[in-house]
Amino acid sequence: MIELSHVSKRFGDDIAVNDISLRVPKGKFCALVGTSGCGKSTTLRMINRLIEHSEGDIILDGQAIEAYDPVKLRRRIGYVIQHTGLFPHWNVARNIGLVPRLLKWSAADVQARVEELMALLGLPVGEFAHKYPHQLSGGQAQRVGVARALAADPDIMLMDEPFGALDPITREKLQDELAKLQARLHKTVVFVTHDMDEALKLADHLVVMREGRIVQQGSPLALLQQPADAFVESMLGGLERGLKQAALTRVKDHMTSLGPTLPAHSRIPAVFTLRQALSMMLRDHSDRLTVVDQHDVPIGELSLRRLIKEAQLDKGSAHE
Amino acid sequence: MSLMDALPTPRLRWEGRHPNIVLLSLSLIMLITFWAFDVVSMAPNRIVLGTGYGALEAFGWPGALLATLLLSSIAILAWQPSIRHYRALLAAVLLLMALMPVGLIASSYLLIDPELPQARLGLGAAYWVVLFVLLLCLIEIRLRLHLSRLWPTLLLCGVALVWWLCAAFWLDSLALVQEFRARDQQFLRAIGQHMALVGIAVSSSVLVGLVLAMLMRRYARLQKAAFSVLNFLQTIPSLALFGLLLAPLAWLAENVPFLDQLGVSGIGTTPALIALIAYSLLPMVRNTYIALEEVSPNTLEAAKGMGMRAGQRFWQVRLPLALPVLLEGVRITTVQAIGLTAVAALIGAGGLGTFIFQGLGQAAMDMVLLGALPILILALVVDAGLGALAEALRPEGTR
Repeated sequence: MIELSHVSKRFGDDIAVNDISLRVPKGKFCALVGTSGCGKSTTLRMINRLIEHSEGDIILDGQAIEAYDPVKLRRRIGYVIQHTGLFPHWNVARNIGLVPRLLKWSAADVQARVEELMALLGLPVGEFAHKYPHQLSGGQAQRVGVARALAADPDIMLMDEPFGALDPITREKLQDELAKLQARLHKTVVFVTHDMDEALKLADHLVVMREGRIVQQGSPLALLQQPADAFVESMLGGLERGLKQAALTRVKDHMTSLGPTLPAHSRIPAVFTLRQALSMMLRDHSDRLTVVDQHDVPIGELSLRRLIKEAQLDKGSAHE
Repeated sequence: MSLMDALPTPRLRWEGRHPNIVLLSLSLIMLITFWAFDVVSMAPNRIVLGTGYGALEAFGWPGALLATLLLSSIAILAWQPSIRHYRALLAAVLLLMALMPVGLIASSYLLIDPELPQARLGLGAAYWVVLFVLLLCLIEIRLRLHLSRLWPTLLLCGVALVWWLCAAFWLDSLALVQEFRARDQQFLRAIGQHMALVGIAVSSSVLVGLVLAMLMRRYARLQKAAFSVLNFLQTIPSLALFGLLLAPLAWLAENVPFLDQLGVSGIGTTPALIALIAYSLLPMVRNTYIALEEVSPNTLEAAKGMGMRAGQRFWQVRLPLALPVLLEGVRITTVQAIGLTAVAALIGAGGLGTFIFQGLGQAAMDMVLLGALPILILALVVDAGLGALAEALRPEGTR
């Protein structure tokens, strides 16, 4: 668990982070979102003491971070940065094995762990272990970056715009993989990004920052339904907000059981989102969809009226 | 690596239709010099200026013809170059270099009267020009064949061996050989001194340079001050620096007995070393500083964020990534120091410069050569050797 209470950071007379309080429970994914210069990166880097905070308390697993040796602290926190920061003179395997080696694991353990992580991140060992960073594509390099951060199996991961330099398709792919990884590993993640869609997609807890302050925090759905002010609303995409909200809700949560009428022509898998359902209705000129399970067997249906109503209902229920 | 380098075959085919202008003109220059200028000179003794002789007189018809044929073959091969032609060109150039001392043997038989044991053979203008141009040809061919620095260096060592064998057994009349024979012990000692001076100066400047560069990174204010001092040192003429050191060092030796016992004095090795180190520091510090600074801040940030300690970051990340540029600094510094050490002879520090200044004093040009040529060769060898070392030590991922 990470807890920040009334934390500030001053650089001379400038105040970069101004009295922020924030709690990331164990196993949760927290995204810090804001425009550049809002202090989100500084906040992240205060957690692993790359920057020392000026005021307030940062508590990690019940202990103030000043009590940790900074080097040992960093070794138990995974860290991923935008341009990967891979060591160009080391091959992929050596890059990934960095922290375990710093922790003096045996060579065999390091190698086993490296191979495990490469498999986890879809990097075939035979093909990639001996490649150098300059031989990798941007997406491959950032996979290595994530593998390196996970190497010593830290409970906490700090990610500073990890996908910011990638092309949209690669970025989306890595986001999906990160979401899957997180569902399996349950790390406590603090994730900095300026891309609201990325944050909405990945985060359990969303923190919007502006000029060193937290403007609003809460679950993505809560923020979408009740943005605190015009800034948060514009960050959330203004009129597109409804669609973003629909993208966070799954079809299976809002379908009705199969009625007596004939099944609708268009079929949608239950795990898809309401946004995809709406798009399908627009495409097929249909106000009704048949919901199917993974074996393409109909298990329910979703009407346009229901879809709109459910979005309405969420407004009342989603307060955290 | 550019696309052109990655696709060597079409490139060479394309070149196959065009003459290599560089090699063509170089071979033309050699042909003209060979016939227009003196090939060798002959003097009855050490002091008298020699008389020059052209190609025909020096080598006779067969020799002159052979040389002309070989020189023309370079032009012919360069007209439509292919990989095979370039290999043949390499062989021709090396053969010419290896035959040069043989030509001298021929002219010593043709020109020198056995009744005159004092007579000495000198190298004429054509000899020097052809030798120099052949080296240029070698560079051009090396680039075209994409050879590393090491190969031509090894081949040149072979050529040097031929020269040495000829000089040792059949070229008694060559002035350079005579100068060497007259003072072979002295020559070997001078080479030893020269290399020792260079070695001490460069290794101390590497150490001081590394420390200074690291201090400069820590204290930004030191950086400006240090660079202005080092730049200033570099502008003092070397001779003047030796002169400037003379008085204070003599005074120190006079007044501090301990330093006197160490061998510090106004002239000799101490001021020479101080001056050499002073000159070596600027290129050394500049390259070290730039090398260390150029390492990507992103990489270093990652290293810190991963939990590497300061020492680990320096030894495992910063230094290996800085090494190529750093070694480049060592190379530049060493080559510069080899040349500068020649001047150190003036204040009695010894070294190969001794022959240069003695020769100048006695108007014996051959003796000047005895000092200058080894300095040149030493510089070239060190340049190639350190270049190859830097290439070999370059971290694999950054090639």
